[in-house]
Amino acid sequence: MAPNGLIPNGTAEAPIEISAVPSIVGINFGNSYASIAVLTKEGIAECIANEDGERQIACAIAFQGEEMYIGNQARHQLVKNSQNTITGFRNLLGKKFSEVPQAALSVSAPVIQHPSLPDTPAYKVKVLQPAPLPLKTTASNTPAASQVATPRSEPIEVERVLTVSEVTTIFLGSLVQSAEDFLGRKVLGAVISLPSWFDDAQREAVIKAAEDAGVHVLQLLDDAGAVAVCTAAGSEEISSDRTQLIVDLGASSLELSLLSVREGLAYSLATISDSSVGGDDIDSKLIKFFAKEFTKKTKTPLTVAPASDPLDKRAEAKLRLAVEHTKRTLSASPGAATCSVESLKDGLDYTGSINRLRFDMEVRSIYDKVYAKVKELVASAGVDLYDVDEIVYIGGCACLPGLDETLAEGFTENVITPFKAGTVAGGGIGDPTTILARGCALQAQLLVRLAGETEEVRQAFIKGNGTSSVSATSRTIGLLVPQVSAEGGLGGVWVPLILKETPLPCRRTVTVEVDISGSEDRVGFEFWEVSEGVRIEHVKPQKFEDDEDEPQDEEEEELEEVKEKTISKEAFLASLSLSRSNPSKGKTKVQVQAIISSNSAVDLSIREVTKNGLGEAVTVTVGSS
Amino acid sequence: MDGVIEDASRFTLPSLPPAWSPPSEPASSISPLVQRRLIPAGAAYLAHIKRTLNNHTFDEYDQQLEEERKRLELLNADGLNGEDDLGVGDEEESPELLLLDAKEWKKQDHYQVLGLSHLRYKATPEQIKIAHRKKVLKHHPDKKAGASHTTNDDAFFKCIQKANEVLTNSERRRQFDSVDPICLSLEEDDPSASDFKGREKDTAFFFKTFAPIFEREARFSKKIPVPMLGENDDSKENVHAFYDFWYNFDSWRSFEYLDKEVNEGSDNRDDKRYTEKKNKSERARRKKDDITRLRNLVDLTLGLDPRIKRIKQEEKEAREAKKKTKGGMSAAEQKAKAEEDKRKAEEEAQRKEEEDKVARAEAKKAKTAAANAAKKARRQQRAADTDEAAPS
Repeated sequence: MAPNGLIPNGTAEAPIEISAVPSIVGINFGNSYASIAVLTKEGIAECIANEDGERQIACAIAFQGEEMYIGNQARHQLVKNSQNTITGFRNLLGKKFSEVPQAALSVSAPVIQHPSLPDTPAYKVKVLQPAPLPLKTTASNTPAASQVATPRSEPIEVERVLTVSEVTTIFLGSLVQSAEDFLGRKVLGAVISLPSWFDDAQREAVIKAAEDAGVHVLQLLDDAGAVAVCTAAGSEEISSDRTQLIVDLGASSLELSLLSVREGLAYSLATISDSSVGGDDIDSKLIKFFAKEFTKKTKTPLTVAPASDPLDKRAEAKLRLAVEHTKRTLSASPGAATCSVESLKDGLDYTGSINRLRFDMEVRSIYDKVYAKVKELVASAGVDLYDVDEIVYIGGCACLPGLDETLAEGFTENVITPFKAGTVAGGGIGDPTTILARGCALQAQLLVRLAGETEEVRQAFIKGNGTSSVSATSRTIGLLVPQVSAEGGLGGVWVPLILKETPLPCRRTVTVEVDISGSEDRVGFEFWEVSEGVRIEHVKPQKFEDDEDEPQDEEEEELEEVKEKTISKEAFLASLSLSRSNPSKGKTKVQVQAIISSNSAVDLSIREVTKNGLGEAVTVTVGSS
Repeated sequence: MDGVIEDASRFTLPSLPPAWSPPSEPASSISPLVQRRLIPAGAAYLAHIKRTLNNHTFDEYDQQLEEERKRLELLNADGLNGEDDLGVGDEEESPELLLLDAKEWKKQDHYQVLGLSHLRYKATPEQIKIAHRKKVLKHHPDKKAGASHTTNDDAFFKCIQKANEVLTNSERRRQFDSVDPICLSLEEDDPSASDFKGREKDTAFFFKTFAPIFEREARFSKKIPVPMLGENDDSKENVHAFYDFWYNFDSWRSFEYLDKEVNEGSDNRDDKRYTEKKNKSERARRKKDDITRLRNLVDLTLGLDPRIKRIKQEEKEAREAKKKTKGGMSAAEQKAKAEEDKRKAEEEAQRKEEEDKVARAEAKKAKTAAANAAKKARRQQRAADTDEAAPS
């Protein structure tokens, strides 16, 4: 055996391994919270916790003495050390000082003009600089002759000016460090998600800050893109062609987008962003509620949100931290949630509780605001709430079940929401707090694998590139089996093939079983272009038969709105028919394929599915140019 | 809504009415298109981009994907989940194997237990490690806790551990390899002179029979590389080198593995010594037998080797040709040559005899040395005993 000490037991260097799992990280960089996701060995994107065990990492940096706190620890500094705590810096990235709104009431370190750089927003914080090192010694080990006075051995209090970019660099660096600690390897690249309203200057600034932190940015992905990647896999219940509503209720703003997702290809139909609604408002409502309770219980006056008195301000900061926990408890369990703060004001402790019903009542106005915005968005896209097939939630506040209940009222019963699908809890696919980071990680995986592709393909993923513009259909195309005694306005059975708003070129194939007992061994379809709509009828609500002692005022009864999807024929495209060859029980299977090329030529073909493969195709082309 | 089928695969469409005729005047094209901007994300977007940039139709793209898939499949053909298992593979255990008793570990075939029976002595330490991990994953008692409720469920797991213990220790593996049951049974099947009766001229049969035998025996050599039997048209030097090597074969083969267990429980020293002595002599006997076996094998090969005959024939022809061409070779020279040949033949015979003698002597020497060593050990032991007994 080798003597001890010759062979080291290990090295501190992370091992360089060639692994099937690329070491990449997906970062959801919000204004208030960020999250990071990596790929597991199984190839699944997973949101990981930082060293404090937090999956939702607060975008905050605090300086106290010689220490620097990042994340949720920094948020706690808002109570006593708010002047040295930096929050909400993401939205200032890439902006000039003159563009930053000064009116906003800030609870953290104020944004100032950088003393030397022109028109640059910055933060000024007080830090303790470590005492300088003792003077260098010479070979004879005597201090070198020096004219300067002996330096102080205590840390010196200095003011440090940090630009927004520097703050972001520190923060992103800590996120990537967490991911590297988790992976045990160096991170090769990152995809960062940003809201769609970020302009080019802001995007530039994010990339610069990230590169300064030593992170290679593979792509800046819109939030909607991250969602599209994450939900592209789909599930059993939902078709791969769908209209998706994304509700992003973050801490500081509400962002809504309506996506058309067609077999994984997604584009945005409309977006709305509103910074007047957000999770902070929910916090404020909750804080007000608890403050009132506190006053009632202890007879100590406490006015918060907004607070004017410094004592009240501190109490508000304490409450703000405490209600975070209350909100999470409410989202997670149907029971009551508590909120406890030690020494809230005047040395008095406070413990209160709130149940879901009461909470929903308190924040009803915010839910209603979101609902109104959703309606506005859908209307701006020229569709109806009934056209939405799926709702996806993003952001911590979107975890609230009350919001889902409020919104779901306006949609069809078949709309898929993560709450309905049960994918919110337990790190499911629809978990609003992690969906963006996971989507980014998946996208990063895709991009890392592009290494072998041509430059053109890689360029296609950069925003503003022409390759992303595409033509899309404006009407739904489908097949119709005419019936003599059919109900509805179509006169037959309708199977949609290519929905409207489908990017071209596209191909859809369906295999249908056709009953051929009635006709003389022939299978045929008509292909139509249709327009879809929603018919709104106002009907009287059905009266219950057993309520005899109903109030008699008939005119007060409101008309109930009943919506129904409608389809009307627009244009006849073609018809195809073939003679069947395998008569088995009066039924046969037919594969129908529709291909629309980018110059809007439609190729339709039908072929019989027989035991020994596919029969001969019957085809027709419409509008070839 | 009536008449709309969202998921067409689950329903049966009705038949056409008998009097159906397609409506006339189809539209010349579909409604005008709208321009949109795709979100550059996801695998579907990548596929779309590739199609657009290369101007591929859907069918062409499908074909390309299929080719790519096949290529990747070929690439990862012998890998498991993309990780190389170094060709260990997954060997199913036979029902008898699963009934093995770990107490009888000396009788088990360790390679078979670890699922390495296709590699045996050729298995590298890495392969053994991988095979052990695979088996442990499959047979760990924790995995079976729920499946059955018998307490003896970890019997095979113990066998696996024992097999790993033996095969990962190079000394113990060597001992086991020496007496590998499969190889022993192969040795028993080795051909004898009677197998070649009437087939002396069958060159192909000779090489087919002996090549694998020498390949098998080669692993016992202390010297590496080991010359193999080779081809029919090998040069004289090669053939001689082969026989030289194999007549002086230095084998590491040893037979400790077959030792009788020394009864550790008994306090009787004499018992132990007796068993040890017996084991030792048994080992020596086996070793001797093995050497003889190999010698006989090489003798048999030499006797049957068509190349030796060919070489002799060639030498003879060369001599005759020389004689013929140099027709006027002096009588003295001829005589000298004949003498030399004779001398050579004699030398050859003598050498062979000597070799045999040496082998015999060696065996004898080994025996006497062993006896001496035992005597010496006994003497020392006695001396030590008396030393201990004597007051210091």
